[in-house]
Amino acid sequence: MGQRSGREERSKRLELALNETMKAEAEVQKNKEEAEEPKEKDQRTTLVFGVADLKNGAVGLYNVGQTCCLNSLLQVFLMNIRFTGILRRITVPPHAVQKKRNVPYQMLLLLEKMQRGKQKAVSPTDLTCCLSVHGVKLFVQYDAAQLFLTLWNLIKKQMKKLELVEELRYLYTICVQEHLACQKCSFETKRYSSMITLPLPLLDSNSYMLKTLEDCLQYFFQPEELTDQNMCFCEQCGRKTPFLQSMKLVHLPQTLTIHLKRFCFEKSAYIHKLSHYLPFPQDLDFNAVLTENQCEADDIKKAGWQYELFAVVAHSGSTSCGHYCAYIRSLTECKWYCFNDSEVCQVSWDDVKCTYGHSSLHWGETAYLLIYMKKCPQ
Amino acid sequence: MAQWQEVQGLANAYLEQVHRLYADAALPMVVRQCLAAWIEDQNWRQAAEPLSSSAARMLFHSLLALLGEHLGSPGLGDEDFMLKHNLRKARRDLQATFQERPEEFANLVANLLQEERRILRQGQAGGQATPAPSPAAESNPQSNREQQIQQRLAEFRTALQEAERAFRHLEEQQDAFDFCYKVHYLPGEERTSDPEYTRQMQALQARLQVLDRQRREVLAQLQQLLGRSETLRDFLLQELEAWRERQQRACMGAPGDTRLRPLETWFTELGQGLFQLLQLLRVLGELRVQLTYERDPLKAETPLLERRLKEQLVFLLQRAFVVEQQPSMPNASKRPLVLRTGSKFSVRARLLVCLHDLNHHMEAKIHIDREPPKIKGFRRFNILTSNSKTLEAGDNHNAREGLICDFQYLTLKEQKDSRTGKGSKGAGEGPLAVTEELHLITFTLAYSYRGLELELETSTLPFVIISNNNQLSSAWASILWFNMLSSDPKEQHFFSSPPPAPWSRLSEVLSWQFESVAERGLSEEHLLMLAEKLFGSKPSPESTLAWNKFSKDGASGFSFWAWLDGILGLLQEHLKQLWKDGLILGFVSRKKEKKLLKGKRTGTFLIRFSESILGGVTCTWVEHPESGPPAFRAVVPYTAAELASLALPDIIRDYQLLVEENIPENPLRFLYPDTPRDEAFGPYYSQRQDGNLTEQKKYLNRRLIRVSSRQANESWQTEEDLVAATENLETLQLQPHGLGTPQPRGLGTPQVTSGNLGLPQPSSAGTVLVTAASPASMQPAGLGTLQPGPRGLEPPQLLQGGSGGSELLQPGIGELDPQVVLQLVTSGQGMLQVGPGDAGMLQLVPGDAGMLQVGPGDAGMLQPVPGDAGMLQVGSGGAGMLQVGPGDAGMLQPVPGDAGMLQVGSGGAGMLQVGPGDAGMLQPVPGDAGMLLGPEAQRMLLGLGDLDQKPGSPDVPEFLQLLTEQELSSGTLGTLEVAELMPNMPETTAGGLQGLDSELEGSTVLLDPHDPFLPQPEDTTVPIVKSLFTGAADLPPLHIDASDFQ
Repeated sequence: MGQRSGREERSKRLELALNETMKAEAEVQKNKEEAEEPKEKDQRTTLVFGVADLKNGAVGLYNVGQTCCLNSLLQVFLMNIRFTGILRRITVPPHAVQKKRNVPYQMLLLLEKMQRGKQKAVSPTDLTCCLSVHGVKLFVQYDAAQLFLTLWNLIKKQMKKLELVEELRYLYTICVQEHLACQKCSFETKRYSSMITLPLPLLDSNSYMLKTLEDCLQYFFQPEELTDQNMCFCEQCGRKTPFLQSMKLVHLPQTLTIHLKRFCFEKSAYIHKLSHYLPFPQDLDFNAVLTENQCEADDIKKAGWQYELFAVVAHSGSTSCGHYCAYIRSLTECKWYCFNDSEVCQVSWDDVKCTYGHSSLHWGETAYLLIYMKKCPQ
Repeated sequence: MAQWQEVQGLANAYLEQVHRLYADAALPMVVRQCLAAWIEDQNWRQAAEPLSSSAARMLFHSLLALLGEHLGSPGLGDEDFMLKHNLRKARRDLQATFQERPEEFANLVANLLQEERRILRQGQAGGQATPAPSPAAESNPQSNREQQIQQRLAEFRTALQEAERAFRHLEEQQDAFDFCYKVHYLPGEERTSDPEYTRQMQALQARLQVLDRQRREVLAQLQQLLGRSETLRDFLLQELEAWRERQQRACMGAPGDTRLRPLETWFTELGQGLFQLLQLLRVLGELRVQLTYERDPLKAETPLLERRLKEQLVFLLQRAFVVEQQPSMPNASKRPLVLRTGSKFSVRARLLVCLHDLNHHMEAKIHIDREPPKIKGFRRFNILTSNSKTLEAGDNHNAREGLICDFQYLTLKEQKDSRTGKGSKGAGEGPLAVTEELHLITFTLAYSYRGLELELETSTLPFVIISNNNQLSSAWASILWFNMLSSDPKEQHFFSSPPPAPWSRLSEVLSWQFESVAERGLSEEHLLMLAEKLFGSKPSPESTLAWNKFSKDGASGFSFWAWLDGILGLLQEHLKQLWKDGLILGFVSRKKEKKLLKGKRTGTFLIRFSESILGGVTCTWVEHPESGPPAFRAVVPYTAAELASLALPDIIRDYQLLVEENIPENPLRFLYPDTPRDEAFGPYYSQRQDGNLTEQKKYLNRRLIRVSSRQANESWQTEEDLVAATENLETLQLQPHGLGTPQPRGLGTPQVTSGNLGLPQPSSAGTVLVTAASPASMQPAGLGTLQPGPRGLEPPQLLQGGSGGSELLQPGIGELDPQVVLQLVTSGQGMLQVGPGDAGMLQLVPGDAGMLQVGPGDAGMLQPVPGDAGMLQVGSGGAGMLQVGPGDAGMLQPVPGDAGMLQVGSGGAGMLQVGPGDAGMLQPVPGDAGMLLGPEAQRMLLGLGDLDQKPGSPDVPEFLQLLTEQELSSGTLGTLEVAELMPNMPETTAGGLQGLDSELEGSTVLLDPHDPFLPQPEDTTVPIVKSLFTGAADLPPLHIDASDFQ
């Protein structure tokens, strides 16, 4: 447990989704244009599958061997009708062996199982078996952020239809522009990166706790000077010089996953959990959080950066042992549910707020992943 | 109650849902009804699981069998023919449909039950909401929150019961597995080839699988339960925080509900639930001890859950230990958090989680300033009496139910620190004044319940420790400032750099003061006037006031707070009802006052508080002369001293303005805006005692009224002139009431001797007005410095200021008619000397006269009211009665005379010297002894309540002898308890009392003022004679009789 790519050397590092780095802006543009079409389709599929997913009430998943982390993430995936809309259109692998090894297919089966039976919970045994083939072992405590990336990449890799892959990517990928400027000369480099989660540090460079999620976002997009041992090699100067590193937001997806870096390690290998209070809003407007020069997008696009909270994956316990549960707002009923493996119950926003954390309680539930959904334009 | 019964009790709308639920369900409702109790008792959910088809089959067949039994039972008569038929049909259908798929049936029933529970919850929540209409619930978030808490508590209880039930099933399952395991599992023997054994092993494996799943399910259930309890806990803590705020505000006088009862119930319920959960986790741990296997979920998760739960419980308990009653002295309930050394106080803490082991007593302790702040000169105190107590569980009949530790009768004693030499009051040695020093009492409790042991701790709000009552007002100012502005309730350093108060906040707190004293807060207009006074003409809500400006003496000689507190004191004592009923406009600036009155009829008046003297109230009225602008007039403010003798409504009723050529008239005709005077004040007038015939035969009826005079040549057209104009004095009006006595001479044109006496500074200026019946008496000899006369006193400053310049005021020998009351009002220092005369009554009102000397005369009664006279000397004369009101007379020396009675009120009279005379009686009246309860000053001269002196008793001289023998030096008379001395004993003449002043400390144990068995000054029932006039009838020495007039 504990994500290893957390705070290192007190500088921000992007967690790149594998194979998701695009070098040129043009590509992003193209990507965007392409994305317009799937969006239309997406809405259509919502209509088609929305009815089916109306039944998508809350069904639990049995814990089949320390799978609380996996269960929580599966719920987050499967309660998302935009995701299930893609999932339902996958091509079914022809052979039984392939079926067994195909993660998207197994997820679809699980979804069907959850919706078909009127049971309070189902067992994700087949899916876990399938996942263990791909290296996701049972009886291992996972870090939810890492497992989320692994799952996402497995799903993407095993989808055969390219259009679905595009849709999936469009649904989840965040695009930022990394900007490095040498402080000695005018040398600049720009780089576009895609991410599946936005890894937000909870402490600022002086190890002070940031007060709110908005503060964390602002801090994340704040330019940072790279000096001393963090200096970069400047091609123009021919030596290591201090750089100004900044990041600009280019694109935000339909489903935005924010990773609160609550597991932090200081100099030693000792990892501890930050359980302090960090409130997050139900409605998040990026235009109100970020300044003009922290974004690299046109106004029309920015106007769409209105989000509402869809799910919270919360962790309780310590770094060495813990438990995950998920709070998910059903998109069809607009009600919050709490998923503790096989136990599901309807909750309220007050319960979700309980995952803000508390500085004097170290074993309680604290939000770890926040999943926001883009608001539908009215 | 059984679920099905509850369902049937639902409202129609919800019943409809139930009908719909069963309309297309494979389980007919008739079966549900028939076997309701049995169905609810089974664990259908578990039977529905894929691996437990045997359990499902068993349940299914049991159901069919039960139905069969039911059909055959004789209880069903003919009238139930239809029912029988339906049941039979249902049984047949069920058998046909589910014979092969009993798991499906189990799942069906489980879902139906679950759905029923959902409808039930909805219905019950809806049922609760219906009586309270929704808009009301929205407008009242408090009750809304209460409802949420109640509902969550109920859900928590239900979930806990379900978890316990699930645990019992798990237990049974484990026992069953254990049995099979012991029977079938035979390791060591080579039986792998035996197919029967292999089959059994597989079955065993399957059972273990089910067991494992069950364990995981119970754990998931507990996780969920714990998660919900965290929300509930947050709700409760929010409520507790709101209560804390309410309590803090209530300490400042704000209205609000500070009961802890609902919180206690909720905390106890949650605590109980969590302890139950802890118990559940422990027995779950025991299951693991009995049986464990590889990757046992109990092994990994139970410790985690237990730690999380314990942390939660500890957190809850720590918060649940609260100070229910902040430290306060018993007689100062409206101003808690101010304690006086040597005085009793009480404080109470409560543990809101009302759970305790009967056989284990928990000990609570209190500590004062456990971590004293590092402030130079910070005083340290000890708590006298025991500092530990057993937490007691009050019984149900007791109002103090619950787990409380109630510390009463505590007293504080300052630690004498020899190193710093800070022996006495110590004020001014450190950077903080005594009244800015904040102290804390911390409670600790060794908590132990069901094996959970921890130390709980809670602290009071900071309080101020004073040693003298005159520090009370500024101590209270500190308490207000702290509670208004401090964000940290333990911040003892607060006054090292006190923050300024935003007006918006301060105004609210000031309003509470008025509300708590006189049940009416300050209006917008009041607050605007105060804001203008503080911040100038353009106050804004953002204006802030510095602590020094609020509490430290300003240019006017007193601070803003002292001024307000003076008014509060006046309201409390004399004007409560008038203020409460809104008759006092109160805070009106002069400018505003003019604006208000300008457009009103002549004689329209308003009552406002004086801005220039402490605790004064005055009337301003408007007059519209035939020509020229309207004139505004105000009388010199009345203070507590005057109002003590005559209530404000009576003053207003009888107020008369004397114009030389006119008959006296009452200029106060309409209370602003336009209520006729008697209509407004009628209910408050005191009843006049005319018509009592028997009384009339003996005495003349008297009535004290207030009169002002206006000189003919005077022109007060402007307000400034008015301010400079004089307060005009008391008069006495005797109404012979037809007793055939001669008309009191000169009543028609009473002359007022003094005119303009120092009104710009009325607080320090002496105002002496002598009214007499005869103009001749208005020319007393020796009044040179006063220059009395119709012109009025030219130089008011002569008597002002208390500069120490000894002024001499000497009404000389006058032929005052015996019926006349002579009242001398003085405030300036210097000397006041009343020459010999025949005044029927001599009343000295307040002042700081250096010396007051009453010459020999035949005064019927001499009554100096409060004051700080340095020396009071009463010359010989035939005074009927000498009564000294509360004051700080340095010395009281009645010179030989024939005083009938000498009555000394409270006060710190430095010296009481009774010269040889024939005084009938010396009677010190107890007074506000608290005024001088400093460590030094707090001495009781005579605690003679129980000595029961009789006049002429030989004990008296002996007692006096005893006192004299104490080698007493100078000091202060703290309290004079009831004592009757007969000074006409030879021993007591010639300074027999000279040594009364003090160092009585060691004289007698009985007189120790700290002794709780001695009557404390506050407790004394002997009434203070406030006014001569109220009690006049009881005082035989004053005889005003018709015969005296001849």
